[in-house]
Order: sequence, then structure tokens, then C-alpha cells
Amino acid sequence: MSFKVGIIRFLGTNCDADVKKWMTLKSHRAVYLWFENQFNVNDYDMLIIPGGFSHGDYLRCGALAAHTPVMKSVKEFATKGKPILGICNGFQILCEAGLLPGVLLKNDLQKFKDEWAMLKVIQNRSPFLQGTKKDQVIKLAIAHGEGKYFAETETLNKLVDNNQIWLTYENNPNGSVLNIAGITNENKNVCGLMPHPERALFEWMGSTDGMYFL
Amino acid sequence: MDGINRWDVFSMITENLQTKLKLYRMTEEEYDLMKSLLGREPLSIEWPLFSALWSEHCSYKSSKIHLKKFSYRNQNTPLMDGENAGVVDLGCGEKIAFKMESHNHPSFIEPVQGSATGVGGILRDIFTMGARPIMSANFLCFGEVNALKMPYLMNGVAKGISTYGNCVGVATVTGQTNFHSRYNKNILVNALNVGYFAPDQKMALSGASGEKNLVVYVGAKTGRDGVHGASMASASFDDDTESKKPNVQIGDPFFEKLLIEACLEVLNKELVVAMQDMGAAGLTSSSFEMASKGNVGLVIDLKKVPLRDETMSAEDILLSESQERMLLICKPDNFEKLQNEFKKWSLDAVVLGEVQKSRIIKLMWGIESLTEIDPDLIVDKAPQYKRPYDVWSYPQRVDFLEPKNISVKNLITAKLQQFKLNQHHWIHNQFDQRVGARTAMACESSVAFARLDYSGRGLGLAVGCRPEVMLMDAEIGALDSVYYPAFQLAIKGAETLAITDCLNFGNPQKIEIMTEFVTSVEAIAKASRELDAPVISGNVSFYNETLGENIISTPATGVVALRSSVEHIIPDAFANSLESIILVQTNWVESWVYVDQFANKISKYKCNKLQDVAGFIKKCVGLTAYLKQYDKKISAIKAVGLGGIGTTCLKMCQSNIGFDLSYDLSSVNESELFKDIFYGFIISTAEDSAEIISILKKYFASANLECDIKKIGETRENEIKISQNTFLEFSKFKEIYFQDIDNNFDALAVRL
Repeated sequence: MSFKVGIIRFLGTNCDADVKKWMTLKSHRAVYLWFENQFNVNDYDMLIIPGGFSHGDYLRCGALAAHTPVMKSVKEFATKGKPILGICNGFQILCEAGLLPGVLLKNDLQKFKDEWAMLKVIQNRSPFLQGTKKDQVIKLAIAHGEGKYFAETETLNKLVDNNQIWLTYENNPNGSVLNIAGITNENKNVCGLMPHPERALFEWMGSTDGMYFL
Repeated sequence: MDGINRWDVFSMITENLQTKLKLYRMTEEEYDLMKSLLGREPLSIEWPLFSALWSEHCSYKSSKIHLKKFSYRNQNTPLMDGENAGVVDLGCGEKIAFKMESHNHPSFIEPVQGSATGVGGILRDIFTMGARPIMSANFLCFGEVNALKMPYLMNGVAKGISTYGNCVGVATVTGQTNFHSRYNKNILVNALNVGYFAPDQKMALSGASGEKNLVVYVGAKTGRDGVHGASMASASFDDDTESKKPNVQIGDPFFEKLLIEACLEVLNKELVVAMQDMGAAGLTSSSFEMASKGNVGLVIDLKKVPLRDETMSAEDILLSESQERMLLICKPDNFEKLQNEFKKWSLDAVVLGEVQKSRIIKLMWGIESLTEIDPDLIVDKAPQYKRPYDVWSYPQRVDFLEPKNISVKNLITAKLQQFKLNQHHWIHNQFDQRVGARTAMACESSVAFARLDYSGRGLGLAVGCRPEVMLMDAEIGALDSVYYPAFQLAIKGAETLAITDCLNFGNPQKIEIMTEFVTSVEAIAKASRELDAPVISGNVSFYNETLGENIISTPATGVVALRSSVEHIIPDAFANSLESIILVQTNWVESWVYVDQFANKISKYKCNKLQDVAGFIKKCVGLTAYLKQYDKKISAIKAVGLGGIGTTCLKMCQSNIGFDLSYDLSSVNESELFKDIFYGFIISTAEDSAEIISILKKYFASANLECDIKKIGETRENEIKISQNTFLEFSKFKEIYFQDIDNNFDALAVRL
């Protein structure tokens, strides 16, 4: 099935072109949406917020992006139950915007980390990763300085109870609580993950597991 | 003049002159030249102009006459003299621009900002031409780990490169890190960037043109950072580096990212006539070079320059090296559109002045004229020195001596220690290696590959120069700076296309340094001709000396190569257990032994000139394709590096697959295991080893290249057996290999 996908660009977004290539490969129609403008939520089937350093990571990762005009439409999109995927900085933005619970803190080693990570699919009911089986292990690259997922116990309990934990690290690279690499909202339509599926599409990239998505 | 006699006035003037010469780091001869070119005493505003553009850093005054030796070009390399970087035509409509540059002095003073702005500067050299930066690389030389400030410098440099490179969204795909005591007081930080032109992408030039066209300033505001940076980078260090901190520029990668996107957009919309980044010597060099190249003049009102600090003087403004600034020439009709494009990216575009026909740069301060000067006086008429040098006489080349008093066990321990130190995953792991979704091979391997978006071909990149080899013989070392990375790319199936270099040397006024410099330039030029790979861009960094102590002469290179696709590039690392490990060794390039500093023993070696290496490298390109004809596969391939077969095999253990080299005692002598080998490689294959050996022999013999090819061992799961008596515990080895330097910094210096 071909979707019309909105890719949101902020100042400093740097995985926008990569995500567009990925969507084209999956035969979806992808359109860029600029952070200064609101959009008609009926025009798109799904949204992706790509990675990068939106607004220079000033203040906190994703904090400034979360308060830009485009996010009003994104929130409306979420309320309608339509699917939204945040990758890396996109995940941070979704948390800052309150569309996903918790926060992403500096990695335990206080350093940026780029490596391949093995991830376990905890639930496959999100709209983005239905091609996998529960407990399947997939290989994706991570590249982040602030990817340590953190939430208070109460929130974590809710995440577990509602089956919102989406992906976990097999070898925790950053100190995330419960090894969390990705979560969804209660409705399962808003999803965020730190690893980059768009960097794992061909054998030559090192993994093809990004193709499981969408 | 009551009360002051003429002699006093004279001495006041000379004292004044000496002060000025010192402040502007110029010699008396240069002052005389400046005066005769102008036909008068220089105005006070002209001093900083000459000082900056005649600095070694900007004018290449000690090296220019020798750099002409890099004039070799082929059909893929159009002449692009004077542009910011060299361009290579890849065919299929695709082109690349690439260049390497040093940021040694600033990085030693302030490692985080120094290295970050090094990355930023080289990126601007690339996108100022209209190319999209796609691959970054770095070449680093540090001192001994326990040298003063060294951990701070190492961590700072890694942090600076990663913070800047990651944020601008350009993958850092490869690099080399060296350690030697000769870099204790002068580290090297060389940054390389490759930019890509898709078939429909416009190329920008830097020569200004078109009378009445506007001179437009874009990017960050001008501040006091980096004032006099160019002349600082052109002098030797003393002990007082702290006081030079204000000379170091501060970078903002977010701004750079916006500039990249905005500049490429205005170029593709054809809103720009010419573009130049403000690098060393800031506004001065960019404006003078644009005018000189375009054969035109410019009128610039310095009062219109956007400032961070309103109290800055005209001189400060001219010399500021504030980062992330560009100078553009645009037609008056297009200015509004241009301004809107930049506004979209939250950037200001300000008109500073206009292009004029007469070749005069007129610097204004509001309505007041500061100076009118012919740009060529400063750009083209800079002094050129023919510094004295000798003919290279192989001073250190000695015959092979069996290292005395070194037991095999000690040799292995020493080699393992060096190996341990040279692992730098902790640096590379901090780089975003895959942003752009093009990376096919990155820092975990000896070379990098990225997929070219349009044609799908693989662009290979490797950096080179082994200081240990330079230390022994500058000529062989410089040849090796080109051959070795080309060789590493060739065995992965990529043909060498072009070369960039970053020539890091000590004080050129010392004859032995100048001799090594000239020898290196000639050797690199020779290697480049033999490989049919022109040296298309580069940078010279002199005065890498502190308190009279020079670094090892280090002509770093970046080599790009092309492969038909990014599919099935054979990795470095062993992949499967119970495969044959085969060594292919040239028998005409004699190997040598270098017992390094860690063994605290002699360094003796023997080495022929590197003859016929280029032919061997070219032949290696087709190797895997040839094996494929016989339906034979190999699963790993890696060039034998310093430290010989033993060290190379250790480096090939990246997964859970180790090796056993003791399987046939007659094949390799234990003491030979860590002997350095020049231009050999190791493969791992599941095929019948005798068959592979005979195919390989036939392949190389067809080009009259006689190679020694033999099986030296087998791969083993979770096991490393170096010899009958020497084992390594696999888990311990992995721990060493992948440890983070912060976790276990001290461990680096501890014996295994």
C-alpha cells in the first residue's frame, strides 16, 4: 500500500533526505513539511519526524522544535489517531511535545555514540513495524549523544501495563531504563525510537532490517 | 621639533617599525617589498592586510615554488587553479570536490574548538564550490598518552570533531590516529571533506565579476575571535599557549548546517555570481581573492559588516576569523530573492558594497575611505621564498640488523602494547558515520566507501602517512603516504582517482626540514603520476615546532578511489571459523623490521626504494573480480600494516572469529610474525587454499609481478593463537580492543 507521508523539517534536521529516500524505496509518496507552517491533517496518511539537531539542540534536544507552528498540526494529527514516527531527534521532539511520555538524557558515558545495535521487538502492534514477530531481534544503527530514555517509575509501570514499550536494546548502549530504545503512546499511533531504520535498507549498508518498517 | 633632536626621531621611528613588524609578524625585507609595491609607506590599515595575506598560512610563501610539482593532471581532473578545492569528474555526470586541511595550532591551544573549526573550515571550502559535503575524514597525531595534557587534548579533539561533524549531518567515515613522542608539544589535526555534485548540480566559482553587482555578506556576525589567527598559525610555538586562546575561533555547527542548505539552494536557483567562504584572514582574504581572481575591483563598507561587538575597529573586522561566514556576489536584481532564501534559513544577507571595473579594492568606513589598493599587490605579489634545502641523501637508511637482546616474547609484548594504543574505536564511535544513508564501509574498516546517489557506484576514501616510516626515510615515507592508502583501496576493488594532501612540517627555515619537505613533495608527485591520480588540492602547515623541537615530518594524504558498486565489498574482519588465512607478499619490495619506542630498543630496518609498487596496486584492483571468474570467494581482505602479520591478524578479529597461526610451523617463523611487511595482504577464504593460491599466482604473474603466496594459518572461533606457545584470551583481547578510553585510560599504558 502506498501512503502519502509528511516529513517534517526543522532548522538543523539532517536525516530528512535519508528518510525521503527510504519512503521512495518503499513506494510511498513523501513530501517535506516546513516547521514554520501548519498543514491540513487530512492531506497526509502518516508523518515522520527525522533525526538531526533541530534548532541546534539549543536549550535541550527537541525543546525548541516542540514549540514551532508545525507541531500544532502534528498534535492534531496525533489526536486523530493517525500514525506518527519520530526517529532519533524526532523521538526527542515527540517527548518534548508531550506526545510521548518520558525524556531522553545524555548517554551514560556522556559521549555521542555511533554503533550497530541489536534490538528486540517487544510489541508489533504499532503501525510502523507490523512485519516483525514479537521478540524478533533486528539490527539497526544508533547515532546519538542523548538517547538514554528515562521516566519515573509510575510512567514506566504504565508503559509496561499498556504495552507501550516498543523496542529494547539487547546490549544497552546508553543507560536507558528498562533498555528502552523505542516506545509508543497509549493508542500505539505515535511511536518514537532512537535507532535509524533508514540507515539499514540494503546489504551494503550493513543491515536490511529497516525494510521491516512501514 | 623643539627639544627633540633628529636622531631621537629616527630611533622612535625604527622602534615603532620594530614593534609593528613584531605585531604583524613580518620581516624587514617584507616591509621593504610592501613599501616598494605601494610606492609609499603603508597606511596603518594596510599593515594588517599585508600581514594576513602574506602569512605563510595564506600565501604559501615557502612552499609555492615546490607545489608546482603537483601539476600533473589527467582527463578526469579539469584545471581549477585557485579554487577552494580540486574537482574530479567521475563520469556519469557526477563530480566530486575534495580537500584536506590542517588545524594543528588552534587544536593544541584549545582542542575542542580548534578541531571543530577545522571541520567547519574544510566543509566551507567544499560547499562554497556548490558541492554537497558527503564524507568527512580526519588524520590525527598525538603525543605519548602520558605526555602533559595529552588525555585532555585527545578527548578534546575527538569531542570537537564529533560535535561539529555530527551536527552538520555529514558522515565521518574514516580516519587515522597516530601516537609518537615527537607530537607531545604539537599535535596534528587534519580534516578532510569530500563533496558531491549530482549531474544537475551547479558549480560555483570564486572570481567576482559584473560591474555594479553586489557584494553580500551572509552568515554569522563578526566577532573578535580569531583576529590574527592566520599569522599565529604561521609561527612556531613557545611555552605560552594559554595566552593565544583568544586567537582560536569558536564554531557553531548549527549555523554551518543552515549555511550549507541555504548556499546550495541559492546556487541551484542561480542567484549567485560567485561565492567564497571567509576562512583564514576572514573578510580580507575572501574579498581580495575574489577580486584578484575575477580581475575586478570591489568597494566594501566595513561599517556595514554585522558585528557581535560594536566597538570593533576596522582592523579587527578585516582580520576576524569568526566562523560560518560567506561572501557572495549577486546581481542587484536577484538580491531580494537571495535575501528571502537566506531568511528562510534564518540567516541574514547584508550588502557590503559592489563590484567595480577598475582593479582596486576600496575599503570604506561609512563615507570615509580607508584605503584604495590593487588586490594583486597583496594576493599575487606576495613574497615567494626559495628556502635552502639539500638533495635527499637517505641519511637514516641502514642495513638490516637482527634486533639484539630482544626475545620473541618481548617483541610480541611490545607489539601488542602498541597495537592496544593504536585502537581508537573510542574516537570513531563518537562520529556519526552513517548520516546521509550512503555509507557502505566506515571507520571499523581500513578504508571507507559511500554510495554515489546518482550512479550507485562506490566512492572509496582513505587517509595515509605513517609517521614511523617518515621517521626512517622521508622519501619512502612520502611515497608510502600515497601508495599505502591507494593499496588499501585497491584490494577492496577500487581504482585510485585523485589525491589531496596536508603537508605538516616543522620550521621551513631549517635546512633539514626544508629538505624533507622538498623530498616529500617530489615523492608524492612521483607516486601520483605513477598511479595516474593527480594531486588536486592540498594544504601546507609549517612551523609545527615548539621550543625548537620539530614534529616528525608528516605529509598526510587523502586518496579517493572508484568502485563499480557498493555491493559485496570484502570486509577487513574475519567472518567465519575454519577458513584458510593466506598471505600475499611482493617479493621485490624488501620488508624491514622496526622495533619501536615501546620496546625501548633500537630501530633498525632495511628497505629498498618502493619500486613497482604502483603497478602492483593497479593490479590488485581487479583481484576479486578475477577470483569471481573462477567462482571463488574470499570473506576478508586486509593490507598488512605496521606490526606485520601478527598485528594485522589481530586487527581482523572484530567479531568472535580469531585465528591460529601455529598450524604449520614451517610456514612462518615466530620471530617473523611481527616483522613489518610492505605491500602485502592477508585474505581469509573457505575455498581450497591450494586452488586459491594457484589462481592468485597466475593472476599476478600475468602482469609480471612475482608474489610469494602462502597459507599461514586458519580462522578459529573465540580463539587467538599467535604461535605454538603464545595464546591470547579472546575475551580479554576484545575488552582491550573495544574499551572506552575514559573507562580505562591508565590501562593503555599498562603492559598486557
